[in-house]
Amino acid sequence: MAANAAAQSGHPGSFKTWEARLPLLLTYVLLSIGAIVMIMPFVWMVSTSVKPDREIFGDTIRWIPNELDLQNYSDAFEQTNMPRIFANTVLVTAVAVFSQVLLGSMAGYVFARLQFRGKTLIFFALLTTMMVPFEVLIIPVFLLIRAFPLAGGNDILGQGGTGLINTLGGVMFPNFVSVFGVFLFRQFYLGFPKEIEEAAIVDGCSRIGVYWRILIPNSKPVMGTMALFAFLWSWNDFLWPLVVVKEDSLKTIQLGLSVFDQEQGTAWAELMAASVMAVVPVIFLYIFLQRFLVSGGITSGIKG
Amino acid sequence: MNHALRRPSLSSSETDDLRQRLYRVMNSQAFVALLFLLVPVTLLAALKIWPVFYNLFLSFTRYELFEPPRFYALKNYNYVFTNTTVRQSIFNTLLFTIEAVPIGTALALVIAKLLNQSIRGRVFLRTLYYLPVVSSVVVSAMIWRWIYSPQHGLLNHLLGTVGIPPQNWLNDPNLALISLVIVTIWGSIGSNMVIFLAGLQDIPRDIIEAARVDGANALQNFLLITVPLLRPVILFVVVTFTISIFRNFGLIFMLTQGGPFNRTNTMVWEVYQNVFGYLRFGRGAAISVVMLVIVLILTMISFRVLRDRQGA
Repeated sequence: MAANAAAQSGHPGSFKTWEARLPLLLTYVLLSIGAIVMIMPFVWMVSTSVKPDREIFGDTIRWIPNELDLQNYSDAFEQTNMPRIFANTVLVTAVAVFSQVLLGSMAGYVFARLQFRGKTLIFFALLTTMMVPFEVLIIPVFLLIRAFPLAGGNDILGQGGTGLINTLGGVMFPNFVSVFGVFLFRQFYLGFPKEIEEAAIVDGCSRIGVYWRILIPNSKPVMGTMALFAFLWSWNDFLWPLVVVKEDSLKTIQLGLSVFDQEQGTAWAELMAASVMAVVPVIFLYIFLQRFLVSGGITSGIKG
Repeated sequence: MNHALRRPSLSSSETDDLRQRLYRVMNSQAFVALLFLLVPVTLLAALKIWPVFYNLFLSFTRYELFEPPRFYALKNYNYVFTNTTVRQSIFNTLLFTIEAVPIGTALALVIAKLLNQSIRGRVFLRTLYYLPVVSSVVVSAMIWRWIYSPQHGLLNHLLGTVGIPPQNWLNDPNLALISLVIVTIWGSIGSNMVIFLAGLQDIPRDIIEAARVDGANALQNFLLITVPLLRPVILFVVVTFTISIFRNFGLIFMLTQGGPFNRTNTMVWEVYQNVFGYLRFGRGAAISVVMLVIVLILTMISFRVLRDRQGA
């Protein structure tokens, strides 16, 4: 913006002068240096992942390897039990995304459109919980999952067994709904023109019908945003699966990688190959969903 | 159900009358609200509200999982505030915040300001800056452990070219925390930048244009117009960034495990150690409560700062 303004302030009709271009040039230089620093670790990861060991432990920095060693990928693929941990993660993440979008939009609709007793109280109670980090609540949530009734050898009161500990259900449980999602959808629906819904109600549509036939089909941007965030949280979640899952066959991709990291220690090529495999789906999905992102979600609650 | 929800056509027969009344109840705002909120609010109450109180309860007990919790009065809190390891974890968490938040926030703001122009490649650059956010903490940690590696690590290689001797980044008591701070800043610039970009879009262009006409240069414009107008957004970033540091478990687990000599032992790590290492649930709960109180105080201070400044 500043650069643009400066460019326009040059003599009208003449070519842009050096002076006018300088801020723009400076912008590009600074942004490029920053961007290079930001992506350098990823480039190094990819570079290491395709190198033979003797290049990795060489005395010079080689960004582009002299020879490719793709064996690292097949080794990492087998040693991390990639198909298994990948499938577990896809399942856990798919449930989280679906559930957070559905429950978030339902609750968001209620808080944006309906009037009922206790609404303000419930709304502010939820608002307050946004300030409470999940890590602080990990002990009660762990005990809750452990005491889940009729699971893992528990009786109806949740005693006697291990509940949902060491199950994928236990991994999923805290990710069914997010307060952030409720607010995201509420904010979106508040900005949605009421007239359309009123017209539909006059025409005989029920409230659930309004939600299902009008709001849901028009929620694609906010759903994309919610889905992306739910995906990232669930796919990248580490502490909770670490606490809940013990068995190898139930591990998520992050957990599998962390174990692999500790076992392999300095097998850098395999470690980086495994990292590439874990991060590539996320990057592609992010780039694909990026255009759906609504900025309203990010600033909601801090405006005004 | 679906049939009943359709508004029936007006008719005088009794079934239609019943159906109409049922419809009115089921279409009432309260009923739909109850129906729609039942699952999400129950889950959030169980996962976000009840745990706060149960944590508080546990913090006054001795609980080691296999016997019911026993009342323990203030012994856990006494331990938290007298034990040197726990005290150091509180100190480290605050130090971590002080080292990471100001620099990280300032960098994110400057990058956002530079990106908030109609320049070519804007979306591409923004995506590059955002990539570390998309990457998981485990992957990030693995990459950085390799970069920090004392033998053949990229950082020591690069520093070697300018004559700086190799360092043992993650195992040197004087460097370990700062090494984690660097990874944290790198990993958070993207998300903070996106928030700043959204905030910058809301600043009316004519204000900046007016200041420029009045003779303000780009730097003055940034410091005297943009920054003050962005104050609520800056505050939001500082608070969320601080909270994210309090939550920062994965990096410590993957890179230092709290070491060397407890120099990177933060509160979240201490909770994890006590609970899942030594099965000291009560003690872990007490540390969690202290952590939560600190987070809430920080949040409230910043809200107050915001309100006072706005009032002035």
